[in-house]
Amino acid sequence: MFQMSFSTFRERWELFVGAILSVAVGVALVQASMLVLVATGDPRVPPGLSRQAEDKVREGFVGAATVMGMTAFLAVFLAVFIVSSTFSFTVAQRRRDLALLRLTGGSRGQLRALLLSESLLLGLVGSALGVPFGVIAKYAQTWLLVEIGLLPDGFTAPWRLWAVIVAGVAGVGVALAGVFTASLRAAKIRPLEALRETGEAARAMTASRWLFGLSFAACTIAMVVWAQGANLIGAMMAALGISVFGAVAMSLLSPLVVPFMAWLFGILVPGSTLVDLAQANLRDGVRRSAATASPLIVLVSLLLGLAGTFGSLAAAGGEEAKRSVNAHLVVTSTGEEAERLPGIEGVAVASRQNTVDIAITVEKTQNKRVITRNFYTGIIAVDAADYARTHTLPPSAGSLDALTGNTVFTGPARHADRIDPGRVLAADVGGQPLELTVVGGLPETLETGDSFLVPRQALPRQVWAGAPTETVVQVAPGQDPDDVAERIEQAGFGQVRTVSGWAITRAENAQDGNVEILTVLMGLAGLYALMAVVNSVVIAGTERRREFAVSRVTGLTRPQVVRTAVVEATAVAVIGLVLGCVVAGAGLLGIGGAVHKAIGATVVAVPWTLIMVVAIGSVGIVAVTSGITASIVTKERPVSLVTTKE
Amino acid sequence: MSWNQHLTAGSRQGLPPSGYPAVELQQVTRFYGSKNTGVAALDNVSLSCPAGTWTAIMGPSGSGKSTLLHCAAGLDQVTRGRVLLAGRDITTAPDGVLTEMRRRTIGFVFQSFNLISSLTAEQNVAFPSKLAGVRVSKSEVRQVLAGVGLADRASHRPRELSGGQQQRVAIARAMISRPAVLFADEPTGALDSNSAKMVLELLRNMVRTVGQSIVMVTHDPAVAAGADTVVFLADGRIVDRVDMPTIRDVAERLTRLES
Repeated sequence: MFQMSFSTFRERWELFVGAILSVAVGVALVQASMLVLVATGDPRVPPGLSRQAEDKVREGFVGAATVMGMTAFLAVFLAVFIVSSTFSFTVAQRRRDLALLRLTGGSRGQLRALLLSESLLLGLVGSALGVPFGVIAKYAQTWLLVEIGLLPDGFTAPWRLWAVIVAGVAGVGVALAGVFTASLRAAKIRPLEALRETGEAARAMTASRWLFGLSFAACTIAMVVWAQGANLIGAMMAALGISVFGAVAMSLLSPLVVPFMAWLFGILVPGSTLVDLAQANLRDGVRRSAATASPLIVLVSLLLGLAGTFGSLAAAGGEEAKRSVNAHLVVTSTGEEAERLPGIEGVAVASRQNTVDIAITVEKTQNKRVITRNFYTGIIAVDAADYARTHTLPPSAGSLDALTGNTVFTGPARHADRIDPGRVLAADVGGQPLELTVVGGLPETLETGDSFLVPRQALPRQVWAGAPTETVVQVAPGQDPDDVAERIEQAGFGQVRTVSGWAITRAENAQDGNVEILTVLMGLAGLYALMAVVNSVVIAGTERRREFAVSRVTGLTRPQVVRTAVVEATAVAVIGLVLGCVVAGAGLLGIGGAVHKAIGATVVAVPWTLIMVVAIGSVGIVAVTSGITASIVTKERPVSLVTTKE
Repeated sequence: MSWNQHLTAGSRQGLPPSGYPAVELQQVTRFYGSKNTGVAALDNVSLSCPAGTWTAIMGPSGSGKSTLLHCAAGLDQVTRGRVLLAGRDITTAPDGVLTEMRRRTIGFVFQSFNLISSLTAEQNVAFPSKLAGVRVSKSEVRQVLAGVGLADRASHRPRELSGGQQQRVAIARAMISRPAVLFADEPTGALDSNSAKMVLELLRNMVRTVGQSIVMVTHDPAVAAGADTVVFLADGRIVDRVDMPTIRDVAERLTRLES
């Protein structure tokens, strides 16, 4: 039996190379993500940094760990999805061979054993190749994380044997699991199918495809509905879930859409014989079309879904920031300079917010152990009255009126830490100990926000005088904000912005960070999915040698055959794109609902540029790949393929 | 050792117990499609092919020839009636039994040779035995190939062989397990006249020298005339039958049926 596998491998290596590569790259990604994830859990802060910089590095590590956790999750999902769809596609493509095996006396058990042992072998080879690939992937991920500033220069993720073993075992396991259902299906192939010239077209929509497709679709819809009432972290997780579940649902149900798309395609594209043939091929090869579209659906829904989610959150954060400030202008300066702002003509209120370099210690009891955490960043010195007049975000506990003397207010960033009013926090103000009583707190916001608000009067002047300061300015009634802005600029202030301009900049900065994070998340994973797209196009093309030969002896020229294949592949790519966009749209619907609940306005950012890039890129790649494949497989003289039946 | 010597040297494993016909169909109906719009490809067909004889099945296209062959070989399930193969009722036999029979009791030769494209000629020949877990020596395989005149083509792949050579490999593959019944579906349909002649001669020799039972579907009167009996089908029913036919007998009847 293995002899047959081995000779099939020599004969139709594209089928097996595709499967091996899908395992190898999957193992590489999982292994690299795990290694980097584990290394980020043990932050090593470079020596000689200020406390604030150290804090920033630590925060970066936490951020990197979150990103890598998501990357690892995506890598596992993609590996499972791509390997199983590649393997089941290769089994479907060998249907006639397998029927022949049954005809010559192969039992169902032997067929299953053959496919499972084949996939075990492919899994082992793929995993073995995946380990060195993983080293490259690890460097690529580390480089990306350092490049976007989440991790400090010189960060390395040490080699750990267990991660390699886990990824390798997962690779073999995924290969076996991937082929398992396909082998059950293959065992049902009747020997008679070998006698049919074209092979009995396997039903594209099997019972299990219906069952799983509808279940995943139902889960996706449930998550969209649930996200409407969820908080933002929940909505983000739901968005990821919607992308993943929706992509699986759409790939499973895509055979239902193919005939419809073929029909639509026939209407949109003016009829020519070639287009008609491509359209008929699309309809006839539903299983093949669906298998080619699958990885594209996943790629598009993940990429656009995540980009849309991050983009919407950033835009919503900007919108929320704008809404939470009841003022006209934002001026950036030092604390000392900002003291002059209230005196400028037309300024009604100037809420100076100095980012001060002090430390606040929070003790937390967890599992009967006292955990001490020092905060150095996000500590803002304010005048409570001015702050209250210019900010609309109502406190979740206490009142800003009480923020006088040695007190402290928790900011949105610390909301989740549940530091209740009445507690006393130790502070280190330029070496002087200070005790601050918590008098209230602000609720969570879309943006992380500040950690603590401290009354400026409680701090010595030298602490805030040189601190970077943002002053939120309310213009006096009857005054034109533009005039006031001009006066402030004339008074020597460099950076004066309108509140909406300031909010937009914040959203843009957040969006820049998002793009970087998305690059880490989807960079390698996207390449993996793209590889799977190319893979399925190549497999689908090479398996059609005889069909192409028949077209040629029917009267088509070689370029016409290639063109038909390209038209067909393009249509399949469009199907994948559209279905992927539907999933991404569902993700946006979810996040839109959650944002509406959080800030009272629906803010959704549709990543149009990315959609265009992905659309042009994926259609282009699919078209080029299918063109190249079709011209390679039509090299042989058609008559030699048509007459020899084997 | 020649082909015939090879076959007579060993015992015939798949032979039916003496006295049983090689194949027997009792009032077999095979219905396709739904009740209202379906068609009966076989309609109450009864047929008995004695062991050691060669039966040819003829008829116009769509008369049910291939369906009859598929049902007789257990590749297709009958809607009504019984099918006995080498004395064994296979009408409702489970897949395992049918698989076992494909290994030991039945051999197939088809118009499209159905060789496994990735295996060489000798690997193709040895393959069914390997599936059955029976060890066949290389020399045995080579002998069988020599018996069909392909001693020098053992390590060629199907695509490197001519149609006639491929069909002879298929016959060698079918015969290595010494089956009780050889089913052939248009075995010369895709061959040129010389190759067809050679294949027919092979089949005739097998019947004559070792008493091989053959059930064959063909539309070629010259091929059918080589059989002991020709059975004519039309619209799923047996309409005629000739023993010891001549080409003219067969051609005349066929023309009448097709007109």
